[in-house]
Amino acid sequence: MKPEHGKESAYITQPGTIRNTRQMTRLEKYFEITLPRQRDLGHEPGQFVMVSVPGVGEAPISISSSPTKKGCFELVVRKVGAVSTALHALDSGDKVGIRGPFGKGFPTAILEGNDLLFIAGGLGIVPLRSLINFVIDNRKDFGKVTILLGCKTPQDMLFNEEVHQWWKRLDVSCSCTVDRSDPDWKGNVGLITGLIPGVSLDAERTFAVVVGPPIMYKFVILELLKKDIPERQILLSLERHMKCGVGKCGHCQIGEYYCCQDGPVFSYDRIRGKHEAL
Amino acid sequence: MDKFVTLNKQDLNDFIVKLSRSQPVMAPVARGCKSFVFESVDSAKAIALHYIPTILPPKKYFFPQRETLLTYNKTTPAWDPVLESRKMAIFGVHTCDLAGIQCLNMVMSASPQDNNYNARKEGITIIGLECNNYCDEYASCNVMDNHLPNGGYDLFFTELPDAFMVHVNSNAGERIVNDIGFFSAATPKHTQQLEEMRARKREIFKPEVKAGHKQLRGIFAGAFDSRQWDRIGERCVACGNCTNVCPTCYCFDVRDEINLDFNTGTRGRVWDSCQNEEFAQVAGGENFRKQRGQRQRHRYMRKFNYPVERFSRYFCTGCGRCSRACMAKINLKETIDALAEEKR
Amino acid sequence: MKKMKVAFFDFTCCEGCQLQVANMGESLLEVLDLIELVTFREVMSERSEQYDVAIVEGSITTSHDVERIKKIRETAKVLIAYGSCAAIGGINGMKNNFGLEEIREYVYKKDARFFDTIPTRAIHQVVKVDYAVNGCPVYVPEFVKVLKAALSGIPYRVPDYAVCVECKLNENECMYDKGITCFGPVTRAGCNSWCINNNNICYGCRGLVSNPALNGQKDILEKYAVPLPWIENKMNMYNKPRELGIDDPAKTELRKLES
Repeated sequence: MKPEHGKESAYITQPGTIRNTRQMTRLEKYFEITLPRQRDLGHEPGQFVMVSVPGVGEAPISISSSPTKKGCFELVVRKVGAVSTALHALDSGDKVGIRGPFGKGFPTAILEGNDLLFIAGGLGIVPLRSLINFVIDNRKDFGKVTILLGCKTPQDMLFNEEVHQWWKRLDVSCSCTVDRSDPDWKGNVGLITGLIPGVSLDAERTFAVVVGPPIMYKFVILELLKKDIPERQILLSLERHMKCGVGKCGHCQIGEYYCCQDGPVFSYDRIRGKHEAL
Repeated sequence: MDKFVTLNKQDLNDFIVKLSRSQPVMAPVARGCKSFVFESVDSAKAIALHYIPTILPPKKYFFPQRETLLTYNKTTPAWDPVLESRKMAIFGVHTCDLAGIQCLNMVMSASPQDNNYNARKEGITIIGLECNNYCDEYASCNVMDNHLPNGGYDLFFTELPDAFMVHVNSNAGERIVNDIGFFSAATPKHTQQLEEMRARKREIFKPEVKAGHKQLRGIFAGAFDSRQWDRIGERCVACGNCTNVCPTCYCFDVRDEINLDFNTGTRGRVWDSCQNEEFAQVAGGENFRKQRGQRQRHRYMRKFNYPVERFSRYFCTGCGRCSRACMAKINLKETIDALAEEKR
Repeated sequence: MKKMKVAFFDFTCCEGCQLQVANMGESLLEVLDLIELVTFREVMSERSEQYDVAIVEGSITTSHDVERIKKIRETAKVLIAYGSCAAIGGINGMKNNFGLEEIREYVYKKDARFFDTIPTRAIHQVVKVDYAVNGCPVYVPEFVKVLKAALSGIPYRVPDYAVCVECKLNENECMYDKGITCFGPVTRAGCNSWCINNNNICYGCRGLVSNPALNGQKDILEKYAVPLPWIENKMNMYNKPRELGIDDPAKTELRKLES
C-alpha cells in the first residue's frame, strides 16, 4: 500500500558528480562534487553531508568548502572504513549520493564583528576550512583572525598551498606546528597547545573555534580558559558515529543531544562536564 | 463525552474473524514455554487474552526489525526512497505498549520527521486491552503511570465478568464498531462493573519502586557518577536483549545490500542497540562508550533523563521486558531502588 | 566487470562448508555467473594454479599445511577464510587441549611417528586473511555477502555483537527460558541466529565476541546452575586456537587497509 500523506522520505538521496579529486596524503583524498544543474548545496560552514557509495553504504563527511564557493562543494575523506575506502577508489566523473547538508554549523551571524582564533589539529582543518574561507571571503565583517594549525608530521599537513596563502595575508595571522619535524620543516615543532599562550587576544571579544581529535580538545580548552575566553565563546565540532543524520538512529548521541542535529558544532558551555562528550 | 460500547465475550471470536476478513489482525499468541508474540490471527482461538508482555513489543509493526529505506541503481545512478505501509489492526495492546507507541510517535514526528514510520502508522488501527492484574513481578507500570488507559488507541477493551467494555476513541474505532458489528450499547451495569474493576486495580497496583513518578528524573539526572553503573557493567554481557525488547528503543543501523547484478540494490535499516560494542565507535576507532557500565547508564538515561528534557515524558513504560529478557538478571526496579537509596 | 578466477582449497576440515556452496541451489547459478570457478575439488575435476580469489576451508594442523597456505597466499589477490576451521580454528582446535605427542599417538597409534602434527591454527594465525566467513557450517547468505564484498573490493565486518541480538529480532523464545544452555550471549552474530530459529541451541561455532564479559557470563552460569568446567569444554569445542593469541579475524579488514 502506498502511503497517502504525500510526505517525503528522510532518506532522499540526490546524485552528485565528482568533478575533481586529489590524493592529499596517504590516507586523505580530496573531492570536488557538483549537484545536478550545478545547484549550490546551501550549507553553512561546519555542516556535513551523508555521502553514499551504492552497494557500500553511507557515511557522514564534513564539508570542507565555504558556502561562498559556488557551483560545487569540497570534501576530504580519510580512508578508515568501507564507505571511505570505496570513495577513495572513485575519480572524476564518478557519481556518489548526497543527502543533506545536516547539523548546526558555526554560528556565523554571532561570530560577525568578533575576533576569531581558529585552532585545528590533524583532520580538524577539513571542517574548519569551510569557516576560515568564509571569513576570508567576508573579511571586513570580522575582527582579528588568528589561525593555529597542528598535525603529526609535515607530510600530514593538508591544504599546504592554501595555508601558505593564509600565511601570506596581512589580515590573517597563521602559525603551524608539527609533533615530529623533518629537515625541510620551517614551522614550529611541538603540540598545538604550545602556540596558544603566545597569542595576544582580547578575551571578551574573541571566539575560539576548535576542531581536532578528542584528546586535543581537553588540553586546548584548558589553555583557552587560562586566556579568559568565556566558555560560550569556545566553539567545538565533535565527531560521532552517524547513520541517519536526522536525529533518530541514536549512534551520535551525547547526553540528550543528537550530534547530527544539535551539533556537530557546540559551544563549550553546552557540553562542559557532560559525560562522554570530550 | 466518552463513548462506550460492549462486546459479549462469546462474540469475541466472531468479531476477530470478521475483522480479519477486512484487514490483517495481529494479536498476542503463546510461543514456546512461557513467551508470547504478536502475530497474525484469523480467529480469537489463538489469542492469549491473559498474556505477559510479548517478546517484542508491537512497535515491530510501526518500525520493523528490518525495513527498506530506498532502492538504488548504480549506473543511472538513482536512489529511490521507499515508504511502505500496510493496513492492519493490532488487537490486545496493553497500556504499557500503548505508552511505548505514544513515545515513538513523538520521536518520529519530531522534525525532521521519519516518514517511514509515519507511513506505517497511518495504516495501523490499535485496539487496546486492559490488564486487570499485574502480569508478573517485573512490571513497574504503576510508578510509570501506565497501568490505566491513557489514550493512544482507536478502541480499548476491558474484560468484565461477561463482556468487554469497549472505549471508542477515534473515528477509525467507531467505523470498526459500526462495520464489523456485534457491539451493543454499554448498560449502567457494565459501567458499574468497570468502575469496580478500576477501584480494585487501584488497590492492587502500587508504586513498585522506592521512588515516586516525579522523583525519577532527579534520581537519574544526579546519578551519572553512581557506583551502580560499574556494578551493572560488571554483570552485563552486552547481548542487547534489553534494548531490542524495549517498546521505546528506536536506534538503528543502516546497511546497503547490493544484488548479484552488482548494479541494483537496497538500503535498509535494522534495529541496533546502544549496548553493542561498536555502537558509539567512530570510523577512526575511538569508542565513546567503551565500558558496558557506560552503555547501561546511557540506556537508563535515555529512559529516565534525556527524553524528559526533549519530550517531557519518561521513555520507560514499566512493561518490565528489559528485566525479563536480561541474561544477567539486571533488574530495572532494583536499579531504581539502588539509585534512590544512594540519593538519600 | 572482468570475471575473477576463484579457487576453493581445503585444509584440515570436513569439507562441509564447501558442500554448503554445492547445496546453494539457484543462487549458486547466479554466483557462478559472476566468477570463473577454476578449482573446486568437491564439484569439478579441472584445476588451475592461476586464481584471483582463494576460498580456503580448514585449519592449519601440519607443517605441510603451513607451506601450502603460504603458496596460496602468494598466488591469491584475495584470501577468504571459509568456515569455522579456517576462521577461528574450529573443531580441530580441540587438539590443542592435549600434548601433541599424546594426541598423535592416540590418533595414529603405532604409526604415529610417520605423521607430522603442529598445534591447530586458524588461517589468519599463519598468513594474512582478507575476509572471514565464520560458521560451522557457513551460513550461505553471509557467504554471498562476503563474496560480494570481496568482488567489489570493500571490507566485510563480521558483526561484533552477540547472536542474541539477531535472535531477539527473530523473536525466538530464549533457550534459557526453556531451561536450556545456549552460547548465543557470547557468540559473534552474522548467522541470523540460524540454529535457534530451528530450535537448536547456539554452539558458539562463530567464535567469541571480541570483548566477552567474563564476570557477567559466570553470573549467568551460576544463576542457571551450569558448571563452569562443562561450559569451558563446550566453548573450547570451536574456540581453542584463540588462546594462541594471534589477533582477531574481525580486524583483518583493518590490516587490509594498512597494507
